[in-house]
Formats: sequence, structure tokens, C-alpha cells
Amino acid sequence: MTATRTALAALAAGTALTLAATACGNDTGGGTAEGGLTPVTVGVLPITAVAPLYLGVEKGLFEEQGLDVTIETGGGGATTVPRIVSGELDFAFGNVVSLIVARAQGLPLTVVANGMTTTGDADTDYSALVVPEGSDITAPAQLQGATVAIDNLRNIGDTSVRNSVRLDGGDATDIDFVELAFPDMVGAMDNGQVDAAWVVEPFLTIALEQGATPIAANFVELDPELSIATYFTSDELIASDPDTVDAFTEAMNASLAHAEANPDETEQILTSYTEIDPEIIDELRWPRFETEIDRGALESVTELMVTDGLIGSELDLDTFIR
Amino acid sequence: MTETTAQGPPRGRPEASKGTGGRRPRGAARTGSSKPLLGAVGVMAFLGTWEAVPHTGLVSARYLPPASEVLASLARRATTPGFWTAVGDTLLGWALGLAIAFVAAVVLGFALGALPRVRAFTTSTVDFLRPIPSVALIPLAVLMYGTDIRSTLLLVVYACFWLIYIQVLYGVADVDPVAEQTARSYGLGRLARIRHVVWPTTLPYLMTGVRLAAAVALILSITAQLIIGSPGIGREIAVAQSSGAVSSVYALIVATGALGVLINIGVRALERRVLRWHTSVRGEATA
Repeated sequence: MTATRTALAALAAGTALTLAATACGNDTGGGTAEGGLTPVTVGVLPITAVAPLYLGVEKGLFEEQGLDVTIETGGGGATTVPRIVSGELDFAFGNVVSLIVARAQGLPLTVVANGMTTTGDADTDYSALVVPEGSDITAPAQLQGATVAIDNLRNIGDTSVRNSVRLDGGDATDIDFVELAFPDMVGAMDNGQVDAAWVVEPFLTIALEQGATPIAANFVELDPELSIATYFTSDELIASDPDTVDAFTEAMNASLAHAEANPDETEQILTSYTEIDPEIIDELRWPRFETEIDRGALESVTELMVTDGLIGSELDLDTFIR
Repeated sequence: MTETTAQGPPRGRPEASKGTGGRRPRGAARTGSSKPLLGAVGVMAFLGTWEAVPHTGLVSARYLPPASEVLASLARRATTPGFWTAVGDTLLGWALGLAIAFVAAVVLGFALGALPRVRAFTTSTVDFLRPIPSVALIPLAVLMYGTDIRSTLLLVVYACFWLIYIQVLYGVADVDPVAEQTARSYGLGRLARIRHVVWPTTLPYLMTGVRLAAAVALILSITAQLIIGSPGIGREIAVAQSSGAVSSVYALIVATGALGVLINIGVRALERRVLRWHTSVRGEATA
């Protein structure tokens, strides 16, 4: 009998927990403005390139514009666009090629602020095409028939690498691109699984420390003013709440300017949301945090995307960027 | 995902197999005293191998840092509040998911177990839904609930519900007809029969289901955090990975392993307590 009672007690405890769960669930879904601030959720990946957003939030630049920002780092890049379209995220950070493809497929997305721009200088840029120590490959044209690691097929990686190969006089149609996560690329080069890899920070610094050699600054070669990634929102939010979108653009631009003017603070903020080794933080290469998006550079990108068959025809940039 | 472990219905005494066989009484005294010692030696040997392998260059220390470095990283991390928040979030997802699955499975299991026609009617649907791996629901979870804890709960509850539910159905079906008839002839009502006949019969099955589900709940709780990015240790692993912080990744993996061990110890203790009247547990205790 006591056993039965114990089991019933366990059952009761289970029920109590369930009720507690329901109770917990309610207070998180509030969504009410705190102190007159409008709550907005921004989806990003925990990478160095979004440091200005974190810095701006910490410095109160978003509060100045009446925004209470929640940064979400989950979900992965692939789910960001659907979550923007469904209105679950208000703003998100994404690379321009992904956004142009999505837009060309008819998804209602519009760019509201720049994210980062290449430095325009091959020796200091935030990303590069690298080959492992002791590789015979010394120039992009020699990648013909080689295996090259990129993070996503039919995206900014293969588009820019093909462009670099063409500029160097090579055959861009004969490259075997393989999808790998950035953290795995250096290891894959060491193992000889890939002949070259397109890496971004902090993995560029890690790769260089381990003896890799850069053979092309693919973004710089695409266009020295190229906006690599931008912040975007859904057309629905622009239509329903243009003031919030304006406020975000203002605050984001102020954050970009602050991050560009205060590199020490930008470095420091990394320790709050990444686990990058402090020694590597000292060596990191940064993109430029420009507030302007260079239209000419985006036109070059869309031309390349048409050439490579990522999109059917060029995009109207005036409606794509707000 | 772990459906295979849940396949066979336990034969009335889920833990009995351990206690059978003639060699047990003879060997019990010897293994009883040396077991903890052997366990400790095993752990030391494992840590020693782990420490040595990166030093020999068999595997690069870049991708497998030595045990000392990983454990030091874990110790440093254990002094930060962020780590304990992540542990708390992981355990919250685990406990809530398991509790919801438990209540739903017990209520539905008893209800449908008592109604053979309804059970027959739902069997095909259950057999279709049960093998769907919970991780296949990740895209659905992200679209419905984004990255908050409800995504974790969806995955955990889905996987754990079937594990417990199927055990309850087997348990309810295992009631001894003689006991049932006896209870009837003594004039016990439906509720009294459930309490005094069906429930004690089902309990060993139910506990087997809970033990399996407790392990699976932790796996899915971590999976959801790692892939969806809901708060918890899994998300910390993802952040460490995208920062190239290899020893942090290993430290967090060790932490999840420790959680798994603690959960298993806890559930086994609960099982022994709840089933202490049962022959399987009594047999263990007297041996």
C-alpha cells in the first residue's frame, strides 16, 4: 500500500511540475513595453561581425531610439529567413547573397541597415581563401579541379571564390565545392580532405596561426566596397510599424559608427557573447563597420549571381534596400 | 532515436534478468567489495589514455586537448554563474518535458488500456507516430516556438511520451485475470480495482519507461539547445564551437556526461524506492 501511495505522490509531483510549467510559460510571453520602450527581437549568429549590435545595446544606443532589444543567437542561419517572414523575429543579420536569393524568390524581405563591409585591403580583410601549409597551390587559378570548402553552396562563398578564380584567369566551372562548417575547415585542410577553404574570422586567424597561406581576398576582389552582410526585416513590419524600423536603422547606424570609432570596445564586447580565446581576439581581423551600403558593389554581386545562375535576372536594388 | 531500446516489453519484472542465474550469490560478495575500486581504476585509466593520446601526437592536441586542459577549463567554467544558468536551463527542459510526458502517458495509457476497442482503434496511428524520430520535428519546433524552451519541450515530450505510454499499455494488459476476478468478487469498484490491482501491476513497467525516458529527455534537451539554440548547455557548446574554443567544447561535453550519470543514479534510486516491495528489487536487496 505504501508503494501505491509513493507512486501516487510521484504522480502528483509530476502534475504540479506541469502546472508550474504552464505558469512559467506565461510570464515569458509578455511582450509589453517596459518604460515606454518597444520590444524588438534581433536574430544573429554569435560571430565577430555582429559585435556592433551587442556594443550598441550595451551602450544604450537602441534605448535612445526607444527600442528594447532582445538578441537571439539560436536557430542557425537557415531558419532566420522563415522566422523573419513569420514575424517571430523583427530583424536579423544575413549575408547579401542569401538575401538577394530570397528576395528574388519573392520573399518579402528588405534591407534596413548595413552589417559589415570588406576592408577593401587584401592583407587585412576579415575573410580569405586559404590553402594549408606546404600546398602547391599559390594562386586562385590553380584551383581548377581542386576541392574547396565553403559554408553554404550557392551562396556568397562559391560566388566570390569563382569570381577570384576568373579574375586570375582560371576556369571557374571546374571547382569542386564542399559544404563544411567554418569550425571544421581548418581540420579538413590538415587532413587533406579539402585543397583550400574560404574562412572567416575567428577561423582565419586560427588557420593563419597554424600555417595556412592566404591565396585570395575573395571579398576585396569582388568589390573593395562590398557590403558582406546586412540587417533586414520583413516588408510586413515596414508597412505596419515604419517608426520602429526607422528607429532600428538609426540605432544600428549609430552602433556601427561607434564600433568603427572604438575598436577597443568592439574587441572587448566579444568576450560577452563568444568564447574566442583572448589571445586570438588580439590578432583578429575586422571588417569595416560602414553605415552606407555601396549600391555599385551590390550590382557587381547580382551580376555575378546571374552569371552563376543563382538568380534569373538582376534585382531592383531601390526596393531591396530601404 | 532510441526506440530500439524500448522495443521488448519487460516480462513482468523488468530488472529480474540481473538477479537470475546460479552464479550470482557466489560472486556477489567478491564483486560487491571491489566494484567501486574497479570503477575508479577504470576512470583513471580512461583519463590517463585521454591525457596521453594528444601528447603522443596520435591525435592533434588542437582537436583533442589533453584531459588536464579540458578538466581545468571545466573547473574555471564551474565558477561562473553563466554555466550554472545553462545547467539549470538544461535541467528545467529535462524535468518539465519528462513530467509532461509522464502525466500525459499515464493518463492516456490507463484510459486506453481500460478501453480495448479504443486501443485497437488507435494502435495503427500510434505505430505510425511512434517511430518518428523527435529530431525530425526540429524544423516544426523552430517555426512554432522559435528558440525558447517550448521548442525543447516539444522534442522532449514527443520522444518521452511514447516510451512511457507503450510501457503503461503493456503494464495494464499484464494484469493477472485471477487477481482481477478476485477483486471483482470482493466487490471492489472500478477505481479501487485500478488502484489495488492495475496500478501495482503497471508500476514496474511504468518505472522502466521513466528510466528510459529520463535518459532520452536529457539527450533531446541537449540536442534542441545545440541545434535550435534554446538556452542551456547545448547552446553553450554551439557558441564555443563557433568561437573555435576547442577545450571549452570538450569541457561542456564532459559536463553533459556528468549530468547524465547523475540523472541515471537518481532515477535508479527512485525506482528502487518505488518498487521496493517488488520481487525484482527485493531480490537485489537480499542478495
